[in-house]
Amino acid sequence: MNPTNSSNSLMTVVWILVAFVLLVVGGLIIAEATPLVLPPAASAEAVQVDELFKILMALGGSIWLLVQGAVIYSVIRFRARPGDDSDGAAMHGNNTLEFVWTLIPSITVVILSIISFQVWVNITTAQDNPQVVEARGARFLWSFSYDIPGETQRVNSTVLHTWVGQPVVLHLETADVNHAFWVPSMRIKQDLLAGRRTEARFTPILAGEYPVVCAELCGSGHGDMHASIVVHEDEASFLDWFDDEAYIILNPPDDPVEGGELLMTAGGVAGLYACAGCHTLDALGWDAIVAPNLEGVADRAATRVPGMEVERYLLRSLFFPGEFLVPGYDNLMPQHQYQDPEEANYMPLDEALNIVAYLCTLSASGESACNVDMLPDMMTDMGMG
Amino acid sequence: MATITATPGLGTRSAEGAAIRAADLLRWSLDHKIIGLQYMVSSLFFFIVGGTMAMLIRWELLTPALDLMADGTQYNALMTIHGSVMIFLWIIPMMAGFGNYLVPLMLGAKDMAFPWLNAFAFWLIPPAGVLMIGGWLVGPPEAGWTAYPPLSTLFSPDGQTMWAMSLHLLGVSSILGAINFVVTIRNMRPEGMTLWKMPLFVWAVLATAIIQVLATPFLTGGLTLLILDRTAGTSFFDPGSGGDVLLWQNVFWFYSHPAVYIMILPGFGMVSEVLSVHARKPVFGYRAIGLSSMSIALVGFTVWAHHMFTSLQPALRIPFMITSMIIAVPTGIKIFSWLGTIWGGKIRFTSAMLFALGFITLFVFGGIGGIFLAAVPIDIHLHDTYFVVGHFHFVLFGGSVFLIFSGIYHWFPKVTGRRMNERLGQLHFVTTYIGTFFTFVPQHIAGALGLPRRVAMYDPQFTNINTVISLAAFLLGISSLFFIYNILRSLSHGERVGGNPWRALTLEWATTSPPPPWNFRGDPVPFDDPYGYGSDESVAYLDAVERRFPAPEESDGA
Amino acid sequence: MSQDSLTPAELLQQRNRRTGMTIFQISWMLVFVCLVIVNWQLRGNHPGWPPPGVSAPSALLPALVTLGLLASAWLARSATRGLAAGRQAVFRRQWRGALGLGALFILVMGYEWLSIPTSGIYSDVFRMMTAFHLLHALAIGLFMSMIARGVRAGRVSAQNLWPAEGATSLWYFVVIAWLLFFPVLYLI
Repeated sequence: MNPTNSSNSLMTVVWILVAFVLLVVGGLIIAEATPLVLPPAASAEAVQVDELFKILMALGGSIWLLVQGAVIYSVIRFRARPGDDSDGAAMHGNNTLEFVWTLIPSITVVILSIISFQVWVNITTAQDNPQVVEARGARFLWSFSYDIPGETQRVNSTVLHTWVGQPVVLHLETADVNHAFWVPSMRIKQDLLAGRRTEARFTPILAGEYPVVCAELCGSGHGDMHASIVVHEDEASFLDWFDDEAYIILNPPDDPVEGGELLMTAGGVAGLYACAGCHTLDALGWDAIVAPNLEGVADRAATRVPGMEVERYLLRSLFFPGEFLVPGYDNLMPQHQYQDPEEANYMPLDEALNIVAYLCTLSASGESACNVDMLPDMMTDMGMG
Repeated sequence: MATITATPGLGTRSAEGAAIRAADLLRWSLDHKIIGLQYMVSSLFFFIVGGTMAMLIRWELLTPALDLMADGTQYNALMTIHGSVMIFLWIIPMMAGFGNYLVPLMLGAKDMAFPWLNAFAFWLIPPAGVLMIGGWLVGPPEAGWTAYPPLSTLFSPDGQTMWAMSLHLLGVSSILGAINFVVTIRNMRPEGMTLWKMPLFVWAVLATAIIQVLATPFLTGGLTLLILDRTAGTSFFDPGSGGDVLLWQNVFWFYSHPAVYIMILPGFGMVSEVLSVHARKPVFGYRAIGLSSMSIALVGFTVWAHHMFTSLQPALRIPFMITSMIIAVPTGIKIFSWLGTIWGGKIRFTSAMLFALGFITLFVFGGIGGIFLAAVPIDIHLHDTYFVVGHFHFVLFGGSVFLIFSGIYHWFPKVTGRRMNERLGQLHFVTTYIGTFFTFVPQHIAGALGLPRRVAMYDPQFTNINTVISLAAFLLGISSLFFIYNILRSLSHGERVGGNPWRALTLEWATTSPPPPWNFRGDPVPFDDPYGYGSDESVAYLDAVERRFPAPEESDGA
Repeated sequence: MSQDSLTPAELLQQRNRRTGMTIFQISWMLVFVCLVIVNWQLRGNHPGWPPPGVSAPSALLPALVTLGLLASAWLARSATRGLAAGRQAVFRRQWRGALGLGALFILVMGYEWLSIPTSGIYSDVFRMMTAFHLLHALAIGLFMSMIARGVRAGRVSAQNLWPAEGATSLWYFVVIAWLLFFPVLYLI
């Protein structure tokens, strides 16, 4: 280490330079792997985050190579040869060297902090004319809700629709526990905190469909709590979808069975019910496995409690889910409330009625297993409505 | 202080045979060496328990669907208990065990300052273990080791309360143990051993104890509120009644981030010993290593909210990014100082040294991952993904656990008078290193690509990478069996050694192996520089130690 | 306490105990600091504190017993010094006074705890903090009364002062913890 003459010290400088160049080149090569370890960047923010990621890959890669190189070199060069029982050099430290390796990391973290801060400011700056979407996490379903201009009803969907170049602001609220709204391709993530409203923003730049994932442990169905974002090519294509949805919401069918189906797919006054977060039902494209399968539920409802009618069983299950637990399942379903619209899990009785009417048709024959006209009377004698 | 002959308050212990028998470990004892072993043996037991759980987790994750578990709740319970056991019943008590066994020996003391308190602190661990595992059987906690409300308060079953009580006991145990360390190190150093002549392991234990004393009270406070919310109808964490879910996150991480350093700092101390002894070279930059332990301990108190970058108010995120970045500096100083220590040495590739070198190469990867997570814009993407899982396993397994292995290979001869088998040690090292690398590096990649953590079911695009991770994890599981077998076999078959098989300068080697009940016969005189290898004085000193505590006849000597 | 009669080992033990007690007090005091921070964060979430519709309890009676608590700490200190000087009678009188004032504090605060309404976040925080402090006051108060018995039986004396000294330190702890809580609970 301590060169004794000038040619030695020149060689040391040369070696340090060679090592430095190798480390820089190595770091840059490692940084080229960035796109391999990240999903495609589909938002303006993602592009900036990836640039930062790349810088860190280059820097981290160099440091990693430096340490690996030093260890491997030492292990080979400074191994004790067989029969050599002597000690190494009695070297206790070197103030210059220690100063250098304190200073360089210090400067590096300062620079990194500044760059990160700049990226942070860029990606969080509010954009003009954002599309505002209310997003809700409920165990274990994401739902997105859009204002229909001039109407009180809203368009609800389990898919977030937007279009290229349109800044999006999401207002995030949870119905129960904490969740985290994560769109890997957009590089955004924001926790949904019980009792608080949080916000996330991004500007998509690439048309396509991208997964939305829940990233905060929320219970048994956490791994299955996903949704997707559809980024349309342009606003017109977005409006094609939106106008269709809005038309359906604004012109609900009279038939209670059809109305029930609409409620379960497009939501009611309290937003989208989170049934799809836990239940399976092929007809509606639900595939969650946390709660009992709803396929053929009308047939099974007839046999579950001796002497109880199908419609009464289903109705009570909506409002008192703990009453008849299907063996093998825990009592996880939210207990719906029908009285106070301000309550969490509010479900007005007329909507409940339609939902039961729809569920009654989920039989092997496809015919309704109940007499829907009896429902209002039944509610009255259960003390409801 | 080195002139003490009568020792009040240390209890009595038999002065006959110095060897500690297995039965001694089941008894209430005031001997710090027995207590140290009690910590180590019980935590090794919990390592096997937690490791088995890890194997079950990796088995479940072989496929994207549920297969081993009946439902997600079972999986969540499993990973909650796996995390809690590994952190609170394996790594932290194991480090406490090393501290208890070694600190008085390194200081030339007869025992810790408060032997009774020491024993009491240990005996809080078995009931805590029973509560933790019992809670799992009763109605498992399913909110992860971080136990965020409202999932942990309004949704998780009764086992969550038992989990909290278990952590409460472990917190008290940790505080009492730490008080003992601070007092012992402050008051009981031998004459001539200033703070700047203490072994670096003692420095590290001191820094750790300071963190425990200052941080653990916040865990106690937080758990008290959690238990009240669950059992007494209060609503500190229930926003529906005026509470706040971020309150828990703040209090919890104010403890749990420093707890990360509780888990790694003693290991940093051990690796400084091991590298210096087995490279036969003084520690490079002794003061820098000692001071960096202290600065990590202090700065560690200012970074907690980097665990909350996706939940914290956005305006507060940047300050915590800066403090988190700063931690990289003292950590970097340590890594470079260790490199300086082996540079120009005469490296002996003992199993202890292999794990110490392996630690450096793995830990630097974990540290670089930490920088990614400290940068807010990147953390937003990586938060709560498998990147984080990979990161903390790199620093906890590649870091703390590698150092524990290294420490066990290094000090096993002192504790038992026998060396561990080196061939098995090499096999253990190679399998562990490969297993660690291929378990936890792919986890980083999977997380960055979009795999969230704590999921029993995942997107099928991650099937292949999860298969790689699981297979590597199974290799890790097998490698631990080599280790356990090596320990058990070496207890009876290991090569017998004298007092100082590695020719080390710190005081714990200047006595018989294992040490007698009061550690030293007469008052030990520390060598002036605990890392003064390469000098003639040190060779003379080591020769003298060897003559005084020779290896038994039947072996070839050390 | 006469230091000359102590062996080096006893001196070390005394030093260890004092250092240990100090560190324990710093550490455990942080639990109280944690609860103050909890109080602070929760009140930060509300427009006013106490929240609208909740009335804050009067500070008058608690302020008086707080003064009593301070006096009790002074008495305990003085009593321990008396004991160190071998004056058992002084110890007994002053220690009893300290215990009496402590008991008064516990009774009054116990009454406060019972009389505050039992629902709402304000009440939760208030009752949690006072109860947490009361439990410490009660446990350490009981320990102090055991010391009084120990002195009567001769187990605790100038020759074996540590139990009394330690109990006094713990009582200081109760007082300081309360001085931390009192303004947070009643004044701010």
